[in-house]
Amino acid sequence: MNLGLGCVCRPGSWPYGSLLDSRHCVFALTLLTLLMQVVVEANSWWSLAMNPLLIPEAYIIGAQPLCSQLVGLSQGQKKLCQLYQDHMQYIGEGAKTGIRECQYQFRQRRWNCSTVDNSSVFGRVMQIGSRETAFTYAISAAGVVNAVSRACREGELSSCGCSRAARPKDLPRDWLWGGCGDNLNYGYRFSKEFVDAREREKSFPKGSYESARLMMNIHNNEAGRRTVSDLANVSCKCHGVSGSCSLKTCWLQLADFRKVGEALKEKYDSAAAMKLNTRGKLVQMHSKFNAPTSHDLVYIESSPDYCLKNQSTGSLGTVGRLCNKTSEGMDGCELMCCGRGYDQYKAQIVERCHCKFHWCCYVKCKRCTKIVDQFVCK
Amino acid sequence: MTRMEEPTLAVSTGKEAKAARDAIKPTQEDDSSFTKFSKITATSPDPEDGLFLNPENGCTWCARRLKQQSGADAPLTGNEPFSNLPLNSLPEENVGRAHYKLCDRLKLEKKQRRMCRRDPGVAETLREAITMSAQECHYQFRFERWNCPLEGRHRANILKRGFKETAFLYAISSAGLTHAMAKACSAGRMERCTCDEAPDLENRKAWQWGGCGDNIKYANKFVRDFLGKRSNKDLRARVDMHNTNVGIKITKGNITCKCHGVSGSCTVRTCWRQLLPFHEIGANLKLLYENTSKPPPPPLPGPNDQIPRTMTLLHIEDSPSFCRPSKYSSGTAARTCYKDNNCDAICCGRGHNTESREVTRPCQCQVRWCCYVECKQCTQREEVYTCKG
Repeated sequence: MNLGLGCVCRPGSWPYGSLLDSRHCVFALTLLTLLMQVVVEANSWWSLAMNPLLIPEAYIIGAQPLCSQLVGLSQGQKKLCQLYQDHMQYIGEGAKTGIRECQYQFRQRRWNCSTVDNSSVFGRVMQIGSRETAFTYAISAAGVVNAVSRACREGELSSCGCSRAARPKDLPRDWLWGGCGDNLNYGYRFSKEFVDAREREKSFPKGSYESARLMMNIHNNEAGRRTVSDLANVSCKCHGVSGSCSLKTCWLQLADFRKVGEALKEKYDSAAAMKLNTRGKLVQMHSKFNAPTSHDLVYIESSPDYCLKNQSTGSLGTVGRLCNKTSEGMDGCELMCCGRGYDQYKAQIVERCHCKFHWCCYVKCKRCTKIVDQFVCK
Repeated sequence: MTRMEEPTLAVSTGKEAKAARDAIKPTQEDDSSFTKFSKITATSPDPEDGLFLNPENGCTWCARRLKQQSGADAPLTGNEPFSNLPLNSLPEENVGRAHYKLCDRLKLEKKQRRMCRRDPGVAETLREAITMSAQECHYQFRFERWNCPLEGRHRANILKRGFKETAFLYAISSAGLTHAMAKACSAGRMERCTCDEAPDLENRKAWQWGGCGDNIKYANKFVRDFLGKRSNKDLRARVDMHNTNVGIKITKGNITCKCHGVSGSCTVRTCWRQLLPFHEIGANLKLLYENTSKPPPPPLPGPNDQIPRTMTLLHIEDSPSFCRPSKYSSGTAARTCYKDNNCDAICCGRGHNTESREVTRPCQCQVRWCCYVECKQCTQREEVYTCKG
């Protein structure tokens, strides 16, 4: 991208004379915008999470212009937006949950899933097919499944209702199967349609980097969805005589999203490195290791160096990050600051303390300030 | 006496025989001629001859040689150390010098080499101590990022700095030497020490000191002399000395008793002092390693001893993270890790690869009469995790 950044339309700045200057400038600018278009369009249905929540009614009134205004959706996704307008809010919520969980799981590492801007959300880091990209794709797809399934259960969406999943075979016979479970089936299918839409409508020549990236994205989205589906389990409520468990009703419930985040983090640790073979399919880089299943994450490039700020890779560096002096792990000052050293500050922290419950029914807390040592990377 | 008779037997009858017999010129006293003959042949015995092993066979030469060795004119008392009697066919000089070669092969200082040569058991003990310490270090650090790489330049570089790991290395090598020396004494491999003497515990009438306890006292003294006195040089030398002393002090023993009274009761007991197994000592040192501290800053730089005499290891500088290959270690790439406990710690956030391997292990073992164990071989698929990078 240097050529774009370096272009200043000043007469005499090019060695070929002033007549060609303007043409070079124009050429450079168009190239830049085209490239930026490809770059920005890569993965920004996530921008739905960044925009403030629009009230659902707004979608129904004069729906069409709103869908085309949403930045970052591909053609297929825009069509789906027009067909399922009430789902958009929940897609945004799902993406937000995903991003929040990503930031929680990576809070102690050099790349902490920070959002850069409102349109491309994570910046240029997502253009490198690294393990972090894999995780981000997976957890956002999982977030959408979660949000849409919950919304179905709560009756917010017109095209779906409670779960109609079949009774699991291993449930004891005298337990009732009923209640209103999260509609995992619908959420899974909708997420598959929406999130994979951009990947499916494009096609690249066999053996190119883009086709590898396409396959990787689809695989990781699927891994995220399957994790949610695997972790969903049966939840029961006892409602017999005076609350005893003589009568029990059970239904399917999605797991807490934190558990999904932890499961995907484990998959991130054991992600498989892949490459393109001659026939254009993704195969493992080293065949002696276990082949990845559809539940595992895959990646095609190694991660960039997150230690230093780099415009071309999109890494933000670790300058100014808080680190933990006593830890030996990735959040310890040694590894987080990449050997550059750290500064020590005394910071004043205000927190709530001496909380008391008053009848009825509120909790009143005092504010305490305390001074702690904070270590910040150089 | 067969060898000595051969010259006489070889002389046959006939003129040569007569000439030979005339040469000897037997005198009137037949007895004295035999003794004279035996004296002549006895002055230059063949060293390969095993005859002079047993002085009771009437070998006067042997008794004289032994007297020279022990330096006293007394007859054999049975307390002579074994090494003066050559038990193998090597000549005397070779046996005495064999351990010199071993001592020279180890890189020792002048004083250490002298101590090594003084006693033939020391060289072997040194070698055993080194192997034992290295093994224990590898075992204790098998789950850590720095897994005690002791080959070549890694060891040299890490000993130049004052990390926690250096402190541990000093402590475990001195502990290993103490342990090996004490065991060697009680096993009889050393000349200058034997079993533990002089029990200094409370005397209970029913207890007896017996058995052969590990001679910890001698071992402590030896290792202190061997590894140098406390030097009043810079802080680093003093810290190293302190860590070495911690290693010496931590090899403690406890009293082990065996009851052998009436039907196995403990009315009669034989007790001896025995060292803890080296694994326990290693584990204790590892705990100390985890709690090492820096020495307090001396108010006056100088020969004042500012290092507290406590049982803690001291280090001067903070260790690097041993994640990437450096001059101290080869990094954690391709290290085997265990998914449940330490994969995220060892792999420094780079993630791990999973490999499935078929492992054959003995299983369903049964004892067969008499007396061996028969096992079947079971194959299992096991997952092996190695760090990426």
